[in-house]
Amino acid sequence: MIVGTGERRENALLAAPLVLFVLAFLGFPAIVDLVYSVSAVSFETLRAPTLVGFDNYRDVLADEAFWRATGFSLRFGLITAALECAFGLALAVFLAPLLERRPWLLAILMLPIMVAPAMVGLMYRLVLHEFVGPVPHYLYAWFGDSPSFLGPDNVFTTLVVIEVLQWTPFALLLFHVAYQGISPDVREAATLDGAGGWALFRHIELPLMLPTLAVALFIRFVDGFRVFDNVYVLTGSGAGGSTTSLSIYIYLAFFKAGEIGRAVAASVLLFAAAFAAVTLFGRLVRRRKVEA
Amino acid sequence: MEGRTTRGRRFGSARPLGAALAGLGLWLTAAPAFAAVTVLGWPGGPEETALTAAAESWNARDDVAEADRVELIFFGRDGFFDKLQADLAAGSDAFDLNLLATYSIGRYAPFMEPVELADGASDVFGESVLATMQYDGEQYGLPTDLSLHFLYYRTDLIEALLADEEAGARYAEIAEEYLGEALQPKAPEEWSWTDWAAMSLYFTKSINADSPVRYGTVLQMKNLLFNMMVFHSLPRSYGGDWRDEAGEIAVDSEAYRTALELYKTLHEAGATPKDSLGYEYAEANAAYGAGQVASMLQWNAAAGDLLDAEKSPAVADVTATVAPPTGPEGRFTHVHGLGLGLNANARNPEGAKRFLQWLSSEEAMLEYARAGGAPGLTADVVGKIAEERPDLVPLGDYASNHGFVMRGGTAEKALAVYELQAKEFTGYWAGQQSLDEALEATEEGMRELLP
Repeated sequence: MIVGTGERRENALLAAPLVLFVLAFLGFPAIVDLVYSVSAVSFETLRAPTLVGFDNYRDVLADEAFWRATGFSLRFGLITAALECAFGLALAVFLAPLLERRPWLLAILMLPIMVAPAMVGLMYRLVLHEFVGPVPHYLYAWFGDSPSFLGPDNVFTTLVVIEVLQWTPFALLLFHVAYQGISPDVREAATLDGAGGWALFRHIELPLMLPTLAVALFIRFVDGFRVFDNVYVLTGSGAGGSTTSLSIYIYLAFFKAGEIGRAVAASVLLFAAAFAAVTLFGRLVRRRKVEA
Repeated sequence: MEGRTTRGRRFGSARPLGAALAGLGLWLTAAPAFAAVTVLGWPGGPEETALTAAAESWNARDDVAEADRVELIFFGRDGFFDKLQADLAAGSDAFDLNLLATYSIGRYAPFMEPVELADGASDVFGESVLATMQYDGEQYGLPTDLSLHFLYYRTDLIEALLADEEAGARYAEIAEEYLGEALQPKAPEEWSWTDWAAMSLYFTKSINADSPVRYGTVLQMKNLLFNMMVFHSLPRSYGGDWRDEAGEIAVDSEAYRTALELYKTLHEAGATPKDSLGYEYAEANAAYGAGQVASMLQWNAAAGDLLDAEKSPAVADVTATVAPPTGPEGRFTHVHGLGLGLNANARNPEGAKRFLQWLSSEEAMLEYARAGGAPGLTADVVGKIAEERPDLVPLGDYASNHGFVMRGGTAEKALAVYELQAKEFTGYWAGQQSLDEALEATEEGMRELLP
């Protein structure tokens, strides 16, 4: 189709507000970030940063705390994403008949994801408190003792459980929609061919839900990787910095240490890693589509 | 930065566009026409109530010019100091006076102006309290509210212990086993830190099955800068400081080692709740308030709740307070203050200075205290309101006689030093690193933060 000059001008005019919006709200901060990431800058010199080359990047990459935070975020993101998807998938399949008859139950199951993560952190500060929390209370009542939920040995597990309890419903929602989307004809044909419950799931339903599984894993991993609110509210950055996620690392460097260049350099590295992950994920999905 | 002000502004809801734009233009250009002194205060507590009362009193005075009348601004506490820093750094003139805290003066000083207080200010506050608002030899703020530490303890438990000879023998056994000294029970006013530790161990159920409470104390060991302030009274009483007299970082010292080890001993012995590494102010209060803890080193602010029978029915009637225990160098309490300082970009700096001068007078501070504030006042001044505010008497007493600010405690990076110590010391308490490693990392970090 040949587009005339007038039409082209009209298109440019119509697109202009969006382009301006993107430039103003994404482009400008991105440029400022890039400048700060290669500058010595503090709150006193926000308007007059001094260029220092890649020193901030070198500092970040040489900082043991950065790698510990990256390790925490990776471990937390992977474990929580895997558990949330496993539980979400199992619940979606197990509860499918019930949810089909009583779809309103889904709204109740979604309640945890409607609570702000920071509120979840505050809530668990109470729930797990030895003297006012219901969990230690009943553990003391039934077993005469209660573990140290936030002690160095258990704190990671506690944080994972809290995250999984809050976000499994999100995975359930995705899998429920995907499960409902499978044609009854496919199931009927497989059943007629003699497939039992497990075989039906293993060879028909699960493969059909794989794209959803991939998306759910990806979304939940990204969310877990960038975790901040609930962890920070519940444990701060943990004893000895043991629960410092990458987001917490950046926050501490920026606001607490006032090392803005280092914080921004870390966030640029985080962005680059996320960009690479998204690109890789996109390519995998495209390749799968081509193969299919 | 958005906030609610005592003087709201209303916008019409259905005016023609032209009129709205014209109104907006007028508003933008005419804002200084009612140039009041704008004060950004600490929201949501007795400080807000007290400052509001003081401002109303100032505004009602006949000799105060219209342009000097005070308008208060409050916004949420969450991230307050980070937001304030961003505003100050951006050169905001949205407020003339702003809140200051001892540990953040150096951070904000580049964007502020030193202030002059009323002539008799040192007679009202005393030098150690004024020092909580000083940086680089200059007074940067008026100390309006003071925070320090009380040792809260259960009178019923201690009285029973002191009256029971058999209990005294068991006490000595426990002290010998855990602390290496066969100590005898003493009255809280005589406690050294070792006595306090022995008492804490004695009242720990897992050590002494006869203890009527589960734990002897509750330590706030979360990786949080405020918890370091609570902890600091202990190393200080052994002579610890951030820097020595020559200005060298001096944290790797016997004083800090003794203090850090004592906390670890108590934690490992189970004398403090298991989750203490996740505890801060609220958790510690809840533990003590539940009636299952014998003593607690805590901020003075907790007294209001813990001594109130309605709020803390399990402990209010059997709780008393003393100054923190003593060490070889004496009895100390970490002290820091909230105050008000002058924004370098203030629109009405002269009016702001006049308000500060008045607020630092005895008359104004007594009014501030009557309205619920917690200023650190000298014995002569606090005596005038002792009946109405008995809690301010020990506050002034402890601040004057035991208060300290570490060398470097108001420096630009003081907050970062507290953060660093919190991270490294909690790492040691949690068993993630040795004491040597923790102190070495702390010293190395402090040398960068306090050059």
